[in-house]
Amino acid sequence: MTQEMIVLEKINKSFSGVPVINNLSFMVHQGEILGFLGPNGSGKTTTIRLLNGVITPDSGRLTVAGFNPVTAGDEVRKRCGVLTESAAFYGPMTARENLLFFADLYAVATPTRRVDELLHACGLTPHADKKVAVFSTGMKKRLGIAKALLHQPEILFLDEPTTGLDPEGARTLLDYIQELNRRFGVTIILATHLLKQVETLCHRFIFIDQGRLLADGTFAELAEKYLTAINLQVETDLEITGTEFQGFPLEKNTPGFLQFKVERKEQIPFLLKALLASGSVYSAQIYGRDLETLYFRIKEEKA
Amino acid sequence: MNKRAAKAIINKDIRAIGSNIQLWLPMLIVPLVFSLVLPLVLVLPARFTDLSTMGNIEQIVKLFSKLSSGPLQETIMALPLAQQQIVYFTVNYLFAPFFLIIPLMVASIIGANSFAGEKERKTLETLLFAPLDLNTLLWAKILAAFLPATFLTLICSFLYGITVNIAAYPLFGRIIFPEVNWLLLLLWVTPALSLGAVFVNVFISAKVKGFQEAFQLSGLVILPVLGLFIGQLSGVLLVNSIFLWWSGAVLWLIDFLLVRKCGRFLNRNQLFTSQVS
Repeated sequence: MTQEMIVLEKINKSFSGVPVINNLSFMVHQGEILGFLGPNGSGKTTTIRLLNGVITPDSGRLTVAGFNPVTAGDEVRKRCGVLTESAAFYGPMTARENLLFFADLYAVATPTRRVDELLHACGLTPHADKKVAVFSTGMKKRLGIAKALLHQPEILFLDEPTTGLDPEGARTLLDYIQELNRRFGVTIILATHLLKQVETLCHRFIFIDQGRLLADGTFAELAEKYLTAINLQVETDLEITGTEFQGFPLEKNTPGFLQFKVERKEQIPFLLKALLASGSVYSAQIYGRDLETLYFRIKEEKA
Repeated sequence: MNKRAAKAIINKDIRAIGSNIQLWLPMLIVPLVFSLVLPLVLVLPARFTDLSTMGNIEQIVKLFSKLSSGPLQETIMALPLAQQQIVYFTVNYLFAPFFLIIPLMVASIIGANSFAGEKERKTLETLLFAPLDLNTLLWAKILAAFLPATFLTLICSFLYGITVNIAAYPLFGRIIFPEVNWLLLLLWVTPALSLGAVFVNVFISAKVKGFQEAFQLSGLVILPVLGLFIGQLSGVLLVNSIFLWWSGAVLWLIDFLLVRKCGRFLNRNQLFTSQVS
């Protein structure tokens, strides 16, 4: 059993009487990449703030790396790197100056070397001596990631790390995140809306809405539970009339493509064999067995 | 107290003042007018014009004998010429309030900007996510306003001293500034007063949302109180130095209590919430 890095137990938090986090409990294991999913305003950022001890919960128990963020906040913050959407840098200072400043706050041992290293890793070396005020969203984001990594944290909280990045930038960043996790065992909490990007990256997913936990599990576990029916799209020369083919209900019928509804994935080979017996099959693809469908299914089911 | 972090914050804040011309230009021009231009405008005419041609000069001189008795009055009364008396009075008494106003002005502007400025730029959130205890943050913010205020006051007094002594030397044949009371005022009372002003401003700045609000509130609450205090204190220059020693001591005590007691009312949760909501 791997060690629990983060534990939330029955956390409640409201802002001026409006509940934002509702009896939220979950845990994150050491070395795990957790996909922390939910719509805007669902409480993801608030949860990240609570876990870093910058705001205090109304009730419930929090543990991060063995410390209580409320009473031992600085111990927690020493071990955590945070990238949030709203946290900004000093505009009149250059990227390097900003990082060197935060290196002092995070007590980095060899600041100059570490800053150079991170500027390079985040592709900011050519912009190191430009003022942050002239940075694009993507550059600011990369600077934010460099800042989060300054003190080589054990836990990394990334709130929408890829929003504002171009596809190459997003890819590079996600690869880098994966490498950090593999090489150094960094525990990563990744809050995002861009579900496609993180589908294969995260080991486990947590879905929240209105501060409540909707679902918690690996993709396979959640798919097993929520994606009961499977849509299979087949590229074929077969022409079918009617709403079913040998007992398999037809969902969509377009020239060259047929889409079937299959109850269990074990039925797929039988369907394909039947199709091949009557015509040619050029390709077959499962539809709706992805994180996005899962997201909507869970939301639907729990609404 | 985390010295490395405090030093980094103080450095950053002081450099930020330097790079914001709208902030430092008025903070530099007003003190320069007080310490260079005004003294010359007042001292030189007094030296070169024949004051006896002025109708009411005798009445002014008579006033000196009515000043509350103390070292300043004794010195003035001992001066043989009306010109000398007027110049000496102007240099050693009339300008005193300015040197209390300079540090207070600087301290208020920088202090009000301290937390509120970080909130407005959304950088407070980044700061609060760092392993930085609030005590360090508070002291760094206090020093980042107190040090420039004190430094600027000392520079201005130095310039003022040089200016008035050069301008008035031919009239007296000796250095007429500073008196002992002045040194006490500058080195003992003024720093205590500016530290208090800095603290109140920084505290207000932490509690409100933006710089405008902080600055208005501090102006509303502090300036009348300080104005009253300054008026009283500069009058004290006329009396003896014991009183200055004591008022300085009382101010330092108030500062100490303020920082000890009010510092506790700051917490991360409140600071953070005041930025985001």
